[in-house]
Parts: sequence; C-alpha cells; structure tokens
Amino acid sequence: MTPRLDTIRECLEGIIPGHIVTCDPGGMPNVAFLSQAEYIDNEHLALSYQFFNTTRRNVLAGSPVRLLLTSHLTARQYRLSLQYLRTETAGPLFERMKAKLAGIAAHSGMAGIFRLLGADIYRVLDILPVPGGTISPPPPAVNCLNALRHSTEHLSACANLECLLEKAVDCLEKKFGFSHLMLLMHDEARGCLFTLASRGYTQSGIGSEIPVGSGLIGICARERSPIRIGFMSSEYTYGRTVRDGLAAEGQIDALETAIPLPGLPNAASQMAIPIVAGDRLLGVIYVESLADLHFGYDEEDALVVFAAQLGLAMQHHQMTDEASDDMPVTERPPAPPQGALLTVRHFAANDSVFLDDDYLIKGVAGAILWALLNDFTRRGRTGFTNKGLRVDSRIRLPGASDNLEARLVLLQRRLAERNVGIAIGKTGRGRFALTVERPLTLVES
Amino acid sequence: MFDHDIVAFIQSGVSITLAACAPGRVPSMSRGYACKPVDGDTIGIILPQTQAAEALDNIRLTGRVAVAFSQPTTNRTTQIKGTDARIVAFDPDDEHLVRKHIEEFVPEAVALGTPEEMVRALLSYQREDLVMVLFTPTSGFDQTPGPKAGHPLPATP
Repeated sequence: MTPRLDTIRECLEGIIPGHIVTCDPGGMPNVAFLSQAEYIDNEHLALSYQFFNTTRRNVLAGSPVRLLLTSHLTARQYRLSLQYLRTETAGPLFERMKAKLAGIAAHSGMAGIFRLLGADIYRVLDILPVPGGTISPPPPAVNCLNALRHSTEHLSACANLECLLEKAVDCLEKKFGFSHLMLLMHDEARGCLFTLASRGYTQSGIGSEIPVGSGLIGICARERSPIRIGFMSSEYTYGRTVRDGLAAEGQIDALETAIPLPGLPNAASQMAIPIVAGDRLLGVIYVESLADLHFGYDEEDALVVFAAQLGLAMQHHQMTDEASDDMPVTERPPAPPQGALLTVRHFAANDSVFLDDDYLIKGVAGAILWALLNDFTRRGRTGFTNKGLRVDSRIRLPGASDNLEARLVLLQRRLAERNVGIAIGKTGRGRFALTVERPLTLVES
Repeated sequence: MFDHDIVAFIQSGVSITLAACAPGRVPSMSRGYACKPVDGDTIGIILPQTQAAEALDNIRLTGRVAVAFSQPTTNRTTQIKGTDARIVAFDPDDEHLVRKHIEEFVPEAVALGTPEEMVRALLSYQREDLVMVLFTPTSGFDQTPGPKAGHPLPATP
C-alpha cells in the first residue's frame, strides 16, 4: 500500500539527509542531497532552492524528479516521484523554510553559504517503500493528541481570560511537557507582542516586548504561520534581532526594553505558533529547548490546534468581559493604609510608572494604573469596570481591538511580581478591584 | 582517474548513492554499500539488488550512472559520472569492503546523533543480494556546498 505523506513526515526533517535525483536532457542522471524539505499536505511538499545547480537546471528543463528519503525512527527508506509546480520567494511557507534553513546552515557549518532563494513546490505523484532492514520506532516522548485532549478540557472549564491564560501555560508545561515557554499577546496598535506569561525562566519577563517581524516570534506573528527550527541559529535569536531591528528603525524608545525578554540564550529548538481568531492575530505561543530537533511535526500540529482553540476562547472571554455586570461601582472609603510610604511616579510622555524609583510598566497598562491610583487617592475608589476604562479619556485605548482584558492581566501580573502593596484582581465579569496596602504619594513628572 | 585523495575519499566511510535514468528521463536511485576502484580506470559500486532493482534496469538500458559520495560529518561531497555502466556478479571475496564501509560509516552517522542500531539496520544486507556496478568515470565534480561546488575533480597528473 502506498503510504500517505503525513504518515512519513519524519523523513522530511532531514535527520538522515534525503537525496534528489534528476536527469538532464541528454539522459545523464544527477544526485544531490536535500538541505531541507517541508511538508505542505498529502499531495505537496516544498524543497529549498539555494543554488542554481545541476539539479535545478534539470528540473527547469523538465526532468522527472525522484527523492530517496529515510526515516530516522525506523530506517525505512521511501522513493517519492515528484512533479515540479512553482517556486515561491515570499510568504509564510518561504519564511518558515528560511528560518529552518538558517538553523540547518548554522548547525552544519554552512551559515553564509546556505541562503534560501526560493521554496520549490512539488506535487507528490507516488510514494514507494524501499525493501530493506528496519527497526521499531521508539515511543514518542509525549502523546500529543492525548495532551491536546486534556488541554482542551482544561481550557473549556475557564470562566475568564485570566484563568484561560493561566491554564494555557499550565497545559503547555504539564500536559505537553514543554519546559521553556512563553505566551505573548499582540498589541495591534503598536505592532508588537508583549509577554503575558512564561514558564521555565529565572525571570518571567512579563511585560517584555518584541516587534512584529523580529526574530522567530515576530516573523511567526507577521506571517501568521507556525515556524519551527531544530538547530540554533544566531539569525533568529530574538534578543539580538530585536535590538538590531529597533536600532535600525529608531524605535528603541517605543518598545518596552526595561523588562528583558525571557528566553534561553542557546536555544537549539524553537517553535512559534500564532494564535489567530478569525482574521485577527491575538498572540503567539513560543516553546524552546536546548536540545537539537526537539520538536517535530506532531508537536507543531498539536500546538496549532491548541492555539486555534485558545484563540477562540480568548476572543469569547474578551467579548464577555466587555458586557460587564451592570452593578453600581462601590466607592467606600477604605481603611487608611498603614506602613511605609510608597512613591508612585508617572511620566506622561510614555505613561511609564515607577514604584519607589523602580520601573514597573509603561504604555496603556501604565496609564490604566495611574488612573486607578488617582481615583483611589482622590476618591477612595477601589472598584472599577472595563467599560469605565474604555471611556476614560486619561487612558486612550487604541480603538476596538485594544486587548484591554489582556492588558489588565499584564498589569495584575507585573504588580504581583513586584509585591509592594498594590494589586488588582477580578471581582466579576468585566469588573475588578484595586487593593492598596501602603500609603501612597503620587508624583506626576 | 582522479587523484589519490579522491580515490581514498570514495572508499572511506562516506554515504554512497547511485542514480540511473530510464530512457524517458525518469531517474532512479539506491544506496551503495561499498566502492571498489578496479584496475585504475574503473570504479565498482556494490549495492543490494532488491533495493536497486529499478536503477539496475535503467543501467541495463542506458549504461549511464551518477554516484554521489558524501561524508556526513564534513558535508564533503563528490559526484562521479559514467556512461558505460554494467552489472557484474558480486565477488564474495569483496565482502570485507562492505564490512569496512559499514564500520567506517557508522561512527560518521552516530557522531551526528543517529542511533547506531538505526544505521546498522539501514545498511543491513544479505550477501547473495549484492551485485556490483562497474563504470569508467567520464566526469567528476566537487559537490561540497560552498564556492567550489560544481568544480571538476582534480585528476592524476
């Protein structure tokens, strides 16, 4: 029986290099090694085009194409017959392959030599197993489908965005076994992503930002396409890329740079999956590992489905949080806080907020906190609604796709991490409360 | 014939892949299990008939072959082509070449993280299944990725 391409995708990972054979118009065969092959669907795959070599000359001259692929799991070999269709030089597939090739090039000492000129798309005409010795495949480290099933149950049980985000990173860590991961949200107005949750790092990096288009995460967001690489590539180390990109564009001040991005400096395997709902990019899930080739097609598939469900659930919770319970906001004077005085300083130019000279946050989240603290100190107000924030002229939310709920979660987490006596917490649908445990002095700078 | 360095290289623990083409230009291929230079002008590639059946059919029809030799740990790659390929019976006295090739190839693949068990399964064979393809090289190319890719191989002065 002819195997389906999706059942032998591990052969395309290149762990055992594949071969491509072609024939010139004079009937002379040619063998070349595949640098990279990418599964598209059961009828199509893509091969990287890096050089104008004999293979390419033969393909463009109409040669039939055969591949010899080998599974690193079973040693089974397959012969594939292909028909060349077209070459793509931009777009999600091209960017996916470009990132992967950069890792392969760095790993094989070919950085600077391997450069993707195009993604050659082929139709798969035939797949034939080659007779020969095989071994039993080792069991996978994780049953991705089962992890997905359990994660789905956990996500479905959440009643609000805060719970959803917490469960999402919990599931990625515990059900899927990812030990280093981040969940980033999209700030459409500013063209960046901000870290809302992470696991496995010394510093959480909550609040750190990365521009759309920078590094693996940024390219995943820009292309709205999963990107997975199996070897370390300095080209896609996001820390460096972010700084280089910003310096070039003169945007350093616009981006959150005071909070360092979390991340493994020597990550070998990286995978970024966009979280999309409808036509909107909501965020990115990012996982990484020090081990080479740690993530495969199965993990990628599972995370794409996970992200799709997370995206729909996020959209749902953002919408329900809009419709806040229409109860009057309580404004009872709280007991005067005791303890050491906390100075809160606000810089209007970028809405940055410092607590006792230590930076906390800037941007919309900074403006929200400043408004809350002003209402608290002037009127003793502790109860707030999302709806109220939306019409608050001091905050200047960037339109309908403002991610307000996500920004509140960000603020809540930054405050919790600093733990200096200011906190916010949900009290109902679209409602939250401010808690202040120390006397405050507000300073506008 | 090629210089001594190339002749030694193609007999070391490199991966060997032989390709042939049917008259309608449909190519076929098989892994090779050893390389044996014969009488100074001819190269022999030992391979398994069951895996190489289509390529062997094509060789019978056209005589044209291309063989790539690649060292996994360095990416050094060489391709040699010929137009007079023919199939001869495997000489059991050459089995030590197959064993030597496997013993030298296994550490190359293992060094890149492939389990030894898997590499040995990939190159497992039955002696009675082996044949040899003989051909006189008419051209040879350096195929190592980089600036020299596509350059002709140095010949013996």
